[in-house]
Amino acid sequence: MYQYDDFDRTFVAERVEHYRAQTQRYLAGKLSEDEFLQLRLRNGLYVQRLAPMLRVAVPYGTLSGKQLHMLAHIARTYDKGYGHLSTRQNMQFNWPELAEVPDILQSLAEVDMHAIQTSGNCIRNITTDEFAGAAADEAVDPRPYCELMRQWSTNHPEFDWLPRKFKIAVTGAASDRAAIAVHDIGLRAFVDDDGETLFDIYVGGGLGRTPVIGSLIYHGLPAPHLLTYLESIMRIYNRYGRRDNKYKARIKILVRAMTAEGFKAKVEEDWAHIKDGPSTLSNTEIQRMVDAFEPPAFPDVEDNAGELQGLRLEHPGFSQWLHHNVVAHRADGYAVVTLSTKVTGIAPGDVSDEQMDAVAAWADAYSFGELRISHEQNFVLPHVPKKALFELWQGAQAQGLATANYGLLTDIICCPGGDYCSLANAKSIPVAEAIQHRFDDYDFIHDLGELDLNISGCMNACGHHHVGHIGILGVDKKGQEFYQISLGGHSGHSGSDPTLGQIVGPSFARQDVPDVIATILDVFVEQRLEQESFLGCFQRIGMDLFKERIYAEPD
Amino acid sequence: MPNLISKTAQGWQVEDEAEPPAWCSEDNWQPGQPLRLAGDAEAAPAYVEASSIAIEFPVFSDGRGLSLAVLLRTRLNYTGEIRATGAIHEDVLHYMVRCGFDSFELPDDRDQKVALASLAPYADQYQASVLQPEPAFRRVNRGRSA
Repeated sequence: MYQYDDFDRTFVAERVEHYRAQTQRYLAGKLSEDEFLQLRLRNGLYVQRLAPMLRVAVPYGTLSGKQLHMLAHIARTYDKGYGHLSTRQNMQFNWPELAEVPDILQSLAEVDMHAIQTSGNCIRNITTDEFAGAAADEAVDPRPYCELMRQWSTNHPEFDWLPRKFKIAVTGAASDRAAIAVHDIGLRAFVDDDGETLFDIYVGGGLGRTPVIGSLIYHGLPAPHLLTYLESIMRIYNRYGRRDNKYKARIKILVRAMTAEGFKAKVEEDWAHIKDGPSTLSNTEIQRMVDAFEPPAFPDVEDNAGELQGLRLEHPGFSQWLHHNVVAHRADGYAVVTLSTKVTGIAPGDVSDEQMDAVAAWADAYSFGELRISHEQNFVLPHVPKKALFELWQGAQAQGLATANYGLLTDIICCPGGDYCSLANAKSIPVAEAIQHRFDDYDFIHDLGELDLNISGCMNACGHHHVGHIGILGVDKKGQEFYQISLGGHSGHSGSDPTLGQIVGPSFARQDVPDVIATILDVFVEQRLEQESFLGCFQRIGMDLFKERIYAEPD
Repeated sequence: MPNLISKTAQGWQVEDEAEPPAWCSEDNWQPGQPLRLAGDAEAAPAYVEASSIAIEFPVFSDGRGLSLAVLLRTRLNYTGEIRATGAIHEDVLHYMVRCGFDSFELPDDRDQKVALASLAPYADQYQASVLQPEPAFRRVNRGRSA
C-alpha cells in the first residue's frame, strides 16, 4: 500500500498545527460558531446530538495494522472505547472533546493518517472496491488513481468551497462494489486491447433527497488526463452549481438542469484550455503510484484443500463462514476474508478498541499487514493464506467478528441515525437490531441468499437505502418516527445496471417494521424460482403482489 | 483603520488606502477603469483592459470568486490587481492567494495580525495553482522518506 513520503508528512503536520491554531482562536472567542463550523468540518469534526463526532479519513478504505492499532488507541484514550465504520469506508469517533481534537489529529499524523475533508462542502474521501488489489474479477487496481486524486483534491485552492459536499468513487472490477453510479463522480477503470488504462466517467449520481443514477459523459479517458478532466468538472460545478438552496446544490441537480450532454459540452470547453497542461499526469507519477500499490509477492502456499474439507465437516460454523465471508483471491492458495461487524445487539459498524487491536494483529499475522474497511461497514483482510483460515476463524469467533452473514439479510448497512446524528428524522440502529433479532435463524437467512437490506435515518441516505434490495428510510410525521420501505434497489454489484428502489406505499411505525419485512420475505419465498435471488424475483414479478400482501387487512 | 492587505515588492503589507478605486459595475465599465465583479460573473475577454478588478464575496464560504480569479489569470492572462472584497475572512486568504488574488479588503471586525500570518500556512501544496502552475509531482522528487 502507499507509504507517505516527506512531502505528505510535512503537509499533514502543518495541517494539524493550522487547525490547532484555529481551535485556539475559537476557544478564545476570536471565531464565531459559524466561522469555526466551516473550519472544523474540513478537519472532520461535526457537532452531533450528544457530543462532537470526529470522522477520520481512511483513504479508499485501506489501512495498515499499525494504523488500526492507533485507531484503537484513540478509541480508548479519547472516546468510550469504540469507533464506527462508516458507509464511506471511514472511521468515526462519537465522543471526542473539541479541545482535544488537535491532539487526536497529531496522533493520527504519527501513523500517516488525517481527518482532512471528511466533511464540509469540499471533495470528500475517495472510495473504492474493498477487494481492490485482491479480487479475482479486477482489471485495474483503482487505488493508485484514488491516491493521485486524494493528493490532487487535498486543500485544493479552487475547490474547497463548493456548493455542497462532493463524493468520488472508483471501481476497476467487473462487479462494481464501489456503487459508482450513485456518486457525484463515478469512475470505471479498464484496460484496452493495447494495455492502456482508461476511465469511463459518470457524473451526477447520488442518493439523498433526489436519488439519481449518474450519466456517462466520457468513455475511455486515458489515465494521464484524469486530473485535468476532473478539474474541468469541478470548475463547472463550482461556478454554476446552485448555492441558493442546499437541497438543490449537489452536482446532480446541475447536470439535470443542463442535461448530461450540455454539462459535458461545458466541461470540455473548459478542458480544451488545460488538456495536456502541467497537471497532466506524467508516466513517472502514474508508475510511482502503481508501484506503491504493487501487491505483495504472494509466496506459494499449500492449498491444503483436503484439510479444509475435513475442518468444514467437523465445524459447520466454519463451513458457513467460508461459504459466505471468504471469496476468491487472484493468487492460488489465498483468500479474501470479510469480518462482519453485524452481530445482533451491536450497532452495524460499531467496533471496540479490543476488536480493532485484534483485527490489526490479524492483518499483521495473516494479511501482509493490510486490511480494508468496506462500505458495507465490515473489516476485510485482503490476502489471507487459505491454510490460516481456520485459525483466523477461531480468533474472529472469540472477538464476535465471525458472523457468517456477508451479503445476507442480517449484513445490514445502517447509518448512525437518530441515536447520534443531529440530521436524522428517526432512529435506525434499533430497527436494524429488531430485524436481526427477528431473523436470527442461520438456515433461513442462508436460504434467502444474497439480500442487501439498507437503513437510513433520514433523506441524506447515509445508509444507502435507495440501493438496498430492501431499503428502509426513517421519516418524521408530526414528530413521530415512521419508516418508508422500498424494494428492488441495487448498487450495481449484482451484475445488472444499478437501479433505485421503488417505494411500496405508506410508511410504517417502528414496531411494525419486522412484520413488514417478514411479509416481504414470505412473498419472496413463495414466489421464487429455484435459486432465484430476492432481486431477481422482484425484477420478475414486480411490486404488485408485495404491495397487496403488505397492506392486506388482517383476517 | 488601515485594512487593505496587498502584495508589494517588499512582500505583503497592510495599508490605509487614501483613494479607493472608483469601481464600476459590469454595466457601466469602460476599458481602463476599475471593474467590480460578482462571483458569478463571466470572465469576458474585454476585462483584460480593466485597471484593476475587485471580486465580491457575499459570504466567505462561497467559492465562485475563486474560480473567477483563476479564469481571469489563466484564460485572460490578466496581470493587473485582483482584489477580494466583501465577506473576507482570515482563514480563506491562503486559498485566494493561490487563485491569483493579490489584495484583500479586510473587514473591520477581522484581525489583521492573524490575516497576515494566514496567507501561506503551508510550505508546499500537492496541486498546481495560479501561484505555482506546476504540481508537486513535476517539481519535487517524491517518494523520499527520512
